Amino acid sequence: MTRRLLTGNGAAAWGARLAGVDYVPAFPITPQTEIIETLADWIDRGELAGRLVTLESEHSMITAAGAAAVTGVRVFSATSSQGLLYAMEMLYTVAGWRAPFVLVNVSRGLAAPITLEPDHNDILAARDSGFLQLHCATCQEVLDSVLLAYRLAEDERVRLPVIVNLDGFYLSFTREPVAIPEPEAARRFLPPFDPETNQFRASAPVSQAVAVLGGGPYSYFRYEMQLAAVNALTVYDEVAGDFAAAFGRTYAAVEDYQSHDAEVVFVMMGSFAIKAREAVDRLREAGWAVGLLRPRLLRPFPAGTFQRLLAGKRGVAVVDQNLSLGKGGVLYMELASALYGQPGAPPVLASFIGGLGGRDIGPEEFYAMARITRQAAEAGRAPPPRLLYTLEELREVRTLQAIAAVERRSLGETP
Amino acid sequence: MYRIRFHGRGGQGMKTAGRILGAAFFQEGFEVQDAPRYGAERRGAPIFAYVRAARAPINERGVIRQPDLVVVADDTLVPVPAAGVLAGVSEQTVLLIDSFDAPDVWRRRLNFPGPILILPAAEDVEDRAERRYVGAACAAAAARLVGVIPWPALAAAVRDELPGFNPAILQKNLDKAWDAYEQMAAHAGLVQERPAMPADVQQSPNWVELPFEDARFATPAIYAAATSVNVKTGLWRTLRPVIDYDRCNRCWWVCSTFCPDGAISVDPDGAPHIDYDHCKGCLVCVAQCPPHAIAAAPEHLAAAEEQP
Amino acid sequence: MNETVFRRMKDLPSTHLLGTGTPMCAGCGGLEAIHEIYDILGGKTVFVNAAGCMTLLSVYPFTPFRGSWLYTAMASAPAGAQGVRDALDILLAQNRLDPAEDVEVVVLTGDGAAYGMGLSATSAAIERGLDFLYICYDNEGYGNTGQQYSGATPHGARTATSLGRQGFRGYKKDLFAIWAAHRPAYVATVIGAEPLDLARKIETARSLRGPRLIIALSPCPTGWDYDPKETVAIGKLAVKTGVWPLQEYVDGQVAHTKVPHPRLPVEEYLKTQGRFAHLFSPERNEALLAEIQARVDAYWAEAGD
Repeated sequence: MTRRLLTGNGAAAWGARLAGVDYVPAFPITPQTEIIETLADWIDRGELAGRLVTLESEHSMITAAGAAAVTGVRVFSATSSQGLLYAMEMLYTVAGWRAPFVLVNVSRGLAAPITLEPDHNDILAARDSGFLQLHCATCQEVLDSVLLAYRLAEDERVRLPVIVNLDGFYLSFTREPVAIPEPEAARRFLPPFDPETNQFRASAPVSQAVAVLGGGPYSYFRYEMQLAAVNALTVYDEVAGDFAAAFGRTYAAVEDYQSHDAEVVFVMMGSFAIKAREAVDRLREAGWAVGLLRPRLLRPFPAGTFQRLLAGKRGVAVVDQNLSLGKGGVLYMELASALYGQPGAPPVLASFIGGLGGRDIGPEEFYAMARITRQAAEAGRAPPPRLLYTLEELREVRTLQAIAAVERRSLGETP
Repeated sequence: MYRIRFHGRGGQGMKTAGRILGAAFFQEGFEVQDAPRYGAERRGAPIFAYVRAARAPINERGVIRQPDLVVVADDTLVPVPAAGVLAGVSEQTVLLIDSFDAPDVWRRRLNFPGPILILPAAEDVEDRAERRYVGAACAAAAARLVGVIPWPALAAAVRDELPGFNPAILQKNLDKAWDAYEQMAAHAGLVQERPAMPADVQQSPNWVELPFEDARFATPAIYAAATSVNVKTGLWRTLRPVIDYDRCNRCWWVCSTFCPDGAISVDPDGAPHIDYDHCKGCLVCVAQCPPHAIAAAPEHLAAAEEQP
Repeated sequence: MNETVFRRMKDLPSTHLLGTGTPMCAGCGGLEAIHEIYDILGGKTVFVNAAGCMTLLSVYPFTPFRGSWLYTAMASAPAGAQGVRDALDILLAQNRLDPAEDVEVVVLTGDGAAYGMGLSATSAAIERGLDFLYICYDNEGYGNTGQQYSGATPHGARTATSLGRQGFRGYKKDLFAIWAAHRPAYVATVIGAEPLDLARKIETARSLRGPRLIIALSPCPTGWDYDPKETVAIGKLAVKTGVWPLQEYVDGQVAHTKVPHPRLPVEEYLKTQGRFAHLFSPERNEALLAEIQARVDAYWAEAGD
């Protein structure tokens, strides 16, 4: 197995290549564009036997992706942020078609204000759509997750599309060593696509994705999607087990870093969770009993795993790189609902929101979060949610506002 | 609370009937909830409207499961399962049908436990869908049956719910409503308010654990051709096209080509045949037949002739 | 085109492929055009649909199609067609699909999608040279939601969102010209009331490859407010008054397949429909009638009539 420096985007492209994808409907958007450029280049050189077609929008792109998947070919696509949202109607739609394919999302903060750097509001906006979600923290994990995602999507107990998420810039444009599986080994892990009833043939007429009127039938189809998504918890463990046996890398649904004897546990997704790992190491050196749980699988939500791993813990610091305006952090809400009323559930969950639009989270901030959570656990009362922001950052904004002629005293007066 | 359902076909004014009754109850100081229920707009297809009225705030929503009164504006709907005319009826439900047939005829036809009243079908108008005043008449009949709506309130409601109508047509509606109101005089108050079912009497909801099913079955996909023929859209028909084969000159099958639903087939001899299970009675064939060999007949008469 | 199977009315199909029992309104001009088209296209097709009246052709578990069907979304049926066509081509190229099993991909949308929301997807599909057919049933408004005005609504028409005395103040978009400007393989206008003309055009479309687009004017009893039995009569008047030109674009040229001669006054067409009743009563709106007539006259003058 060769090990090379690859960006996250490059790793995603390799995942698609090793999956032997047939069809790539594409549309460019920062910070994902390198993925489709790489695939287009390979196809032009004859290194990848697939077809890439640029659609005129992401809404059309996802429509074409789903349509090709229900016609019976293996499909790959990629987008980010505004593009994911532009396609939002179709994310729900193609999931309802039970179209099995893989979409890579390169996370990027959402407008407005429009920005280019990452956070998780885009991918989390899709959490109700019916797409399953895998969240990556390293470039290696990106490549591997694409292969895992196809096995998951195409399993007959699931048959739902899957999004593999990686952070823009911090993974998409960052090179790390990535072991690239041999094509033969990849093919053994991921056999060719079995379309099952996803087909259009002259001899077998089928009306797919038809309208359904009536709450009873509609509910049946939606509930079945839920059951399929929940099946994915079991299927994921099986597939991850197969992957570990084939390639020697283990990807549990929830990565458990030192939580077994921790009193305070960080819960965090994505590439910045690596920084939390580092903070755990430093805090442990300083005598703290801390750990980290990083969900890789977000949909379906691994509630049982969290209940088991957090039972008996004293405090949980949930770090959200997203913000549901008017409420707070999404991972925090998802975790709280999974733990409430469960035996041994930690009495204190603390919510921290940072990293929006690519904002860094410094080690001192991790230490502060750990301290606040521990103190709250001792006091037996959850602290109010904290939006991470420093005085220096505020001063910087004031300087910018001054240049933008936003004079606080004179606001409201004619200039 | 009074719980009342109106059943009719698109175009017969059931939504308006519900609104007239709702407005009349509202005028009399009741809390009201009225709503129509239909799929996409389809003239001739079954629709219903419902009205709830009570002295206290109404904490129910959605379709009425246990009606006190069911009003049927078009009796051809009664045998149509999709119309749901008899859904949720009990021996306390009053059934009022706008019909040419007598109550005992209906009692023989239906296994209906409660009182059956007839609103005599007012005119022998050929096309049932054209009976424009049946909405106001149904609302007025319902108002008399509940017994708490005096005529001036009902009349005011008719005027409120038909704004912008030509005065002559508005008056016609009021006249028809008055006739129906008077026709129900002997049964005034027959429809009573009923309380909601007590909680301890209600049956348990019969919940099941839905089993996981393979996506092959659990997707809205239809693995067969032309299953739509199972839907008897012929039941929409209020006028029936009938071919006079003596006049038919077996042209280039104008009727068969122009029938929007493809409900006219042509046999090997070139003679057209109308599929009455599916003909909606649009009468394009009648209008376009070059030798005028197709005539329109009232459906309820043609259907009656077919009875053994 | 010179050779046609459809020389006389008796050459039209006498058996019908599209199943009965659909919930379209009685007298639907759109359904009439579609069933005539389907008779000729046949069941070796997959209809890819955008939101509109015809979405309800297939409501679980009922479908009238003897071929296949895929419902997509309002704006993206051409993109859905792209995905299906590409996937079929991939399967054929890889010998995973027997050529006898191949199907023609047909987009079916109303005017709402074609003239408006779906225009960008159509434009891109033509630009990509997608091999597909596009059938637009044009009832000149957003029919399925109650006939609000759309990009296809003609000047002066009453719709649910143009209820004033002047009716709709906009003008019908020239979708034929917009599509033709893309230089696809074929564009044509048809109407169910002229079945022979329609049949020849479908036959031509079938014989070509690439993007082939058809607009079928679809008289709509519910939306245009007339007795359903007049659907064909009104369709014929649309042609005879010159309101609906029957034309085709092929090999870079536009030609009319029927030139109404003599051309009846547009009034003959307008007065048949309740949606234009305000042009005649309580008094005649001479200015608007004259404007509508003038625009039709100008069209045919330019067309070389």
